[in-house]
Amino acid sequence: MNVILANLLIGISFGFILFLLGTGLSLTMGLMRVVNLAHGALYMFGAYVGLTAARYSGNFAIGILAGGLSAGLLGLIMETGFLRRMYKQEMSQVLLTIGFVYILTNVTQWIWGPIPQSGVIPEFLSGSVPIGNITIPIFRLTIIAFGLIAAAVLWLFQEKTRIGAIIRAGMDNREMTMGLGINLKVVFTGVFALGAFIAGFCGLIGAPSLGINLGVGWDALLLAMIVVIVGGTGSIQGALVGGLVIGLVDAYGKAFFPEFAYFTMYLVLIIILLFRPSGLMGRAMQ
Amino acid sequence: MEMLKVDGLSKRFGGLQALSDVSFNANPGEKLAIIGPNGAGKTTLFHLLGGQLPATTGRIFLQGQDITRMPPRYRLHLGLARSFQLNNLFFNLALIDNMLLALKGAERRHFEMFQPLNARNDLVATAQRLLESIGLWEMRFAPVATLSYGDQRMVEVIFALSSSPKLILLDEPTAGLSTAEANAFADTFRQLLKDREDTSVIFCAHDMDLVFNLADRIMVLYFGQLVAQGTPQEIQTNPKVREIYLGSEGS
Amino acid sequence: MNKANIAGYAGTSWRDWLFAYAPYIGIGIILLIIPAFISTYFQSLLTKVLIFAIFAMSLDLILGYTGLLSLGHAAYLGVAGYTAGLLIARLGLTSFWIVAPAAIVMAGIAAAIIGYISLRVSGVYFLLVTLAFGQLLSVVAVKWRAVTGGTDGLVGIIYPDFGIPGLTLTDTNYYYLVFIAFAVCFFLLYRLINSPFGKALVGIRENESRMKCLGYNTWAHKYIAFIVSGLFAGVAGVLFAPFYGIMVPGHLGLMTSSSVMLMVVIGGAGTLFGPVIGAIVVLLLEHFASIYTPERWPLILGVVFVICVLFIRGGFGFHLSKFWSRLRIRYGNAES
Repeated sequence: MNVILANLLIGISFGFILFLLGTGLSLTMGLMRVVNLAHGALYMFGAYVGLTAARYSGNFAIGILAGGLSAGLLGLIMETGFLRRMYKQEMSQVLLTIGFVYILTNVTQWIWGPIPQSGVIPEFLSGSVPIGNITIPIFRLTIIAFGLIAAAVLWLFQEKTRIGAIIRAGMDNREMTMGLGINLKVVFTGVFALGAFIAGFCGLIGAPSLGINLGVGWDALLLAMIVVIVGGTGSIQGALVGGLVIGLVDAYGKAFFPEFAYFTMYLVLIIILLFRPSGLMGRAMQ
Repeated sequence: MEMLKVDGLSKRFGGLQALSDVSFNANPGEKLAIIGPNGAGKTTLFHLLGGQLPATTGRIFLQGQDITRMPPRYRLHLGLARSFQLNNLFFNLALIDNMLLALKGAERRHFEMFQPLNARNDLVATAQRLLESIGLWEMRFAPVATLSYGDQRMVEVIFALSSSPKLILLDEPTAGLSTAEANAFADTFRQLLKDREDTSVIFCAHDMDLVFNLADRIMVLYFGQLVAQGTPQEIQTNPKVREIYLGSEGS
Repeated sequence: MNKANIAGYAGTSWRDWLFAYAPYIGIGIILLIIPAFISTYFQSLLTKVLIFAIFAMSLDLILGYTGLLSLGHAAYLGVAGYTAGLLIARLGLTSFWIVAPAAIVMAGIAAAIIGYISLRVSGVYFLLVTLAFGQLLSVVAVKWRAVTGGTDGLVGIIYPDFGIPGLTLTDTNYYYLVFIAFAVCFFLLYRLINSPFGKALVGIRENESRMKCLGYNTWAHKYIAFIVSGLFAGVAGVLFAPFYGIMVPGHLGLMTSSSVMLMVVIGGAGTLFGPVIGAIVVLLLEHFASIYTPERWPLILGVVFVICVLFIRGGFGFHLSKFWSRLRIRYGNAES
């Protein structure tokens, strides 16, 4: 029972990180039909930058902010300089973003070296707290709290604000929305940069779960992608459901079948692909 | 037996009822025109008949066989072919390659992987015959995108004919054509059908000259419902039809 | 009117045959005799190029011709390579006649399974799913130490033997086996591309919904193309394993899959010769980078990706084939 409860919280906590990671990918893929394979690399870069910033300033908040901003800036450059010319040219987007991954990864190696780093946790969030018969790291609880707030904020943004409505309209029918005189280009750039910011932001936060090393970019991308396919693209709900499902599957997988934990995620992915390819929250294909 | 029987066909998109309870027949060799104002549901009907969209309710029978749930490729092999309102060709490929793809598609055997397609002289000969009938054989190596709009429109129609279908659906065949081109179309089309007496044609158009020129029977769609059918004379004098087309402008 | 004119295509005069096949024959002859003129080092490099050329051509079948973006193609090279490695190094089965078919069939089975699941989705999602499966197999290779040797790799893969006395593969004559395989694969793919099936794949790439209306089962076409492409990648894998002598999980992974995609695109997707040129270009670049700046090779590769996308539309192979058809039209008998 304790094992189940403990892993429930770990799974939810990881799930929220996955949710945030998946949101950026989901919005860009659903809205802009843009493949951003560099999404994971942005996460990685944000982790490294965030770590350095946190160490120098002694402040965790500055770290995650620095991570987010640096990734957001890169995302902005990627979109305005390159990707926006390639609407609907998937092959070009794929090659371009793969190129960015290689460049970014190699540059990161150049600056920080190939040895994996360990993340940091701020003093006041370290330690564990007893809940019932189990002890949970405070950091994980904070992530859950933070994740709930972020999910609420993003959901309100999507459903209740004007920009959110524009984004949803743009997903359904891009040409029509542009025809209504709305400057969709600015919205796209903004969404893309926001997704990049969130990815970089998560880098340091996710460090205890995923680590900080040169390969974490692909790990993060794969996770984000599984979340998006399982949950369904284009919506906050989809990313949330996908994130939580994968987070829980991963946590229980590690608890009960440690050797095969990695594959449990793939199992879910395959099941979803075979039986509900549009995702748990996605609209069913016509 | 009738070539096509449509029974109680309707289509609903969420809150919008695009077609309600449409029923009609088409006989072999008959040319049926479907007219109606924009948004009446003509193209939706074509998508249902062609298999591009699933029907909400109702049934479609081709020569007695229920094809309501069949995907487009089965319908083609049963003898139903269609053309599209917006040119839907292989624009980057040469005209002859377009034709060979269409002709090969009509065959049953598909997974031949060793002999060249271009060596199928029988298919090339058929393509030549079809293209010569619309005067485009000389252009056969040109990418379709470089052909004029009017020529592309004719290729659309030839595509539909390439499988020697029993029933052809033409969705606004003269859309975008100049008056001269549209007039030429009716003659060319009749020529093309000369050897295919039993082929039924269902077409929709806004061009009334074309309609009265080609159609044996006319059906009028209005807001998704079939409000009138009959011979051209009957339709011309039908008061309801006059009201639909002329009513808002004062009679 | 002779057949040629009715066909409307290149006539069957000897001049036209010459023009149609001269480049292939010429290059074939060059490839056959070149080992006599170059050092064993360069011969080894050329062997590598031909192996990757087969690999790249196999990807081009689904990428360039059918329009399916697959980023997990190394999986099939890897499955074949590991199968061959297991048979040769672990089980001591070195007969070429067992190893080669077994490895190729395994690659085909992998393609059949992965293809079935991946083709449930299309476009970007298809890409991501193929990527995921590539990574999955890579992780399996890492974890299943007992079978694959984990990150240390599967070592001791020697050349298979033909069971014919006097005909043994060595470092010096392996090239000819690879060359023969390349020539056979090229020929088979050439016929496949020009067959009704191959033309249908192009039709699917250009306008899939129209193909459906014209009577084609497009899903079946895509699935079969995927499997065939996996089989040819398997051929490359069979040649790959003894050449390197070792199989590591990285061979199944993203770096390999994206390198081969780059080869196809640089050389010209949708042409048969393009991937071959692409393989030459990318491997030469890698060769020079490994001599001068081995640390920065990924960076260079990344920059090449970006430049390629921004400036080279269609790839070298595309422009080359256009140039060649213009020559044919001017000097041959082909009607323009």
